[in-house]
Amino acid sequence: MRRGEVGNILNHMVQYPTDLDSVFTAVADGTRRGILERLGRREASITELAEQFGMTLTGMKKHVQLLEKAGLVRTRKVGRVRTCTLGTRRLTAEAAWIANYHQMLEAQLDSLGEFLERTKGEQP
Amino acid sequence: MTTSINGTTMRHTLTTPTDRTIRVERIFDATRDRVWRAYTEPALLAQWWGRGNKLVIEKMEVVRGGHWRYVEHTPDGEAHGFEGRYREVTPQDRIVRTFEWDGMPGYTILETAEFTDLGDGRTRVTGTSLFFTPEERDGMLHSGMEGGMAQSFEALDRLLAKAP
Repeated sequence: MRRGEVGNILNHMVQYPTDLDSVFTAVADGTRRGILERLGRREASITELAEQFGMTLTGMKKHVQLLEKAGLVRTRKVGRVRTCTLGTRRLTAEAAWIANYHQMLEAQLDSLGEFLERTKGEQP
Repeated sequence: MTTSINGTTMRHTLTTPTDRTIRVERIFDATRDRVWRAYTEPALLAQWWGRGNKLVIEKMEVVRGGHWRYVEHTPDGEAHGFEGRYREVTPQDRIVRTFEWDGMPGYTILETAEFTDLGDGRTRVTGTSLFFTPEERDGMLHSGMEGGMAQSFEALDRLLAKAP
């Protein structure tokens, strides 16, 4: 959702491991969510994905690498073809969104607490 | 889970009471009136809702059926829009509204915020969020699709359980 902010939120959230950071970064992008949805139906090569999403091979490789780093996608190379499948971490974009939203909610309440402390005595 | 945030504000968090609901709860050392105003007056809400990020409140009609839209600006220059409509506004007591993030269009969350006067100058805020998939929202559910949101919560539970 927000690359810069995820780390800040995670600092507040003891119950969420920092490990989730790479997952949120991975699914913060619409193309990468699309790739996950696509791979959920059937495995695909990087070339196929690049064509389908109208991107260069290099661009698609970068997306796949981020997803792979987060454990959401696995790749294997046979000859000249690198095939992508969903990784062992089956976190959907939807689940990531739920987690992200939950973190935002918690951080907002922390922020509200700080605001109320800060403005104590200013309001009747 | 209970953590002391600043000595007076206690954190109590309950998660996923059902397979599609998230609940968060906090007790604030502030009167219910102050908490209510922090939620309903744009100038006050802008000071905390963005968690330190700049928040532009484009619309905030705090009445039943009223539209709200906030745009949050992160330090790296990204802008994120959030919006919805108020379903219920019961002064000092309860706000029910829909919530959508521009980044996940169609995934509507029904948010309920309840404010309880604890009688000693403190106020409990209970936030309950009910998730809908676009299919549910648009009434296009058919057999086989109902499990989607439950599966997402399960995926999340598994991930959290696995992490160190």
